Amino acid sequence: MQGYTLAELLAVEASKYVKDDEMNFVGIGTGGQAWIMAVGMPTVAVCLAQHDHAPNATLMIGPVLDPLLDDIYVPDANWEYDLIHWPCRCQIPLEDALGIFRQGRLGLSFASAAQVDKYGNFNIARIGTKENMKVRLPGCLAQTDHGAYANRICVTVRHNRRTLVEHVDFISSAGHENREGLPGGGPVLVLTDKAVMDFEPSTGLMRLKSVHPGVKVEDVIENTGFSLIIPSSVPETSPPTKEELQLIREVIDPKRKFLEARITQEAAVLEE
Amino acid sequence: MKMERINKLITLKQAGEMISDGDKVAIAGSLIRRHPMALVHEIVRQKKKNLTILGWNNGIDFDMLIGAECVKEAHSSYVGLSNVGLAPNFRRAVQEGKVRFVDHSETCAIDKFRAGATGAPYALSKTPLHNDLQKNPEYQKEVTDPFTGEKWIALEAFRPNIAIMHAHRADIYGNVQLDPQRMMDNETDILICKSADKVIVTVEEIVEEEEIIRTPAQTVLSKFFVDAVVLAPYGAHPNSCDLRYDFDIQHSRLYRDMSLSQEGFIEYMDKYVYSSSNWEEYLEKIGKDRLDAITRTDIIRR
Repeated sequence: MQGYTLAELLAVEASKYVKDDEMNFVGIGTGGQAWIMAVGMPTVAVCLAQHDHAPNATLMIGPVLDPLLDDIYVPDANWEYDLIHWPCRCQIPLEDALGIFRQGRLGLSFASAAQVDKYGNFNIARIGTKENMKVRLPGCLAQTDHGAYANRICVTVRHNRRTLVEHVDFISSAGHENREGLPGGGPVLVLTDKAVMDFEPSTGLMRLKSVHPGVKVEDVIENTGFSLIIPSSVPETSPPTKEELQLIREVIDPKRKFLEARITQEAAVLEE
Repeated sequence: MKMERINKLITLKQAGEMISDGDKVAIAGSLIRRHPMALVHEIVRQKKKNLTILGWNNGIDFDMLIGAECVKEAHSSYVGLSNVGLAPNFRRAVQEGKVRFVDHSETCAIDKFRAGATGAPYALSKTPLHNDLQKNPEYQKEVTDPFTGEKWIALEAFRPNIAIMHAHRADIYGNVQLDPQRMMDNETDILICKSADKVIVTVEEIVEEEEIIRTPAQTVLSKFFVDAVVLAPYGAHPNSCDLRYDFDIQHSRLYRDMSLSQEGFIEYMDKYVYSSSNWEEYLEKIGKDRLDAITRTDIIRR
């Protein structure tokens, strides 16, 4: 028994990438595991950073800007009524919120995707080719905009060959293959249930950074649909400290609204 | 010659008749929020054909129009049912190539409405660089910034024939208001309406002009922009309507389940849309208990 959950491990890891005095972004999301990866875990990451090295970091949850993130302020459900009443410092028209990151003022943007490839291209639009489409997904949302303008992107996905693919079927967000003319920095961090990955600066290719405690490098290679860059030595992802766990469990998310998606209509855990 | 003031309050049926086959129809609302469903039902009942539907973030509004075969082309950044899942008719029609769908990002779709709303021929964006938005011809017009020489993509303005929106209240002259506390996702509705040649707004309530005059800062569309107003309480159902009522997740799940097959969708439409001669009959089928369950009873602060 390791004494922490996967969602806690990922939240602590992601929090290290939140910088002080930057605007960070999560969407409004759907429910269940997908919501934990795209919204719940990232929100806890930002709140952890606010309690530590980034007290001036802010979060944008759609048009709700700079909400109070400790549990006592967070609504029990995410109906529209509750989102409108969530204590925050600013509610602005969505097109103005989107304007913030077009000006290069978006720090870390959190995303999830149906497919991610070796260059960090994401796909949330369709599986299959246009002529032979297996699944038409809902569409790009603002992900394309984040790919173009966010300073940094953290994507969280399941670690399997269906998701981590050689080439995505549709590029809904641009990775590192060609960023000519794009103001943003693209993806910097890939979090999965097995490992943490980043991108090699010289090639823009995805590289293994650390494996979660108990996971073997071979297991990561086996479950990745392309040839991942493997450094000569691969450390373990740092487990959460006692203090970090206490902060998450007592102050930030005691009711598991975020890390088990209990704020949505569909509670879940990241462990399968 | 002495003229009368124009009373813009019309029936849902009359509103539907303002839309012609082949029109470009812009639909306000976002995701599962405040899409003008009463008017969507009426468009379906009047069997409009070959519409091009435009939005920035859509759900059951697009899905139903596509399933009912009113649509030849659709533009949005999203067509889905949020936490209820994929939009079944949209998925089926696009996979089978029956409807041309043009993928946009949120800023690209909104920029195209803003260009239309401000009379500009196009908007400039870097969003489409190096991704598959450029697979559609709408994204292939490159322009060079005359000041820096940088490459940008020109996005042609959306200029819909008609825009349809659901709002909280209006007077009979077409002055449209939104409640002060609201989900700011839907502010784009205002740009959508201003981009169109004609605008129809359905509302939760009709108020006296004096009430509008008492609260003019809450008017988001002056009567100058609005061609017709229709009274349609719960007119966004099953979408949410800010602090007035929640997303009806129960009915949305029923819609999704029945729409998983073409036969099931036809059965849903027969039961809820085609056999209802107006919006009130649809609401009776949803039932008072269900509507009460999603209704918030707070007093709207002004």
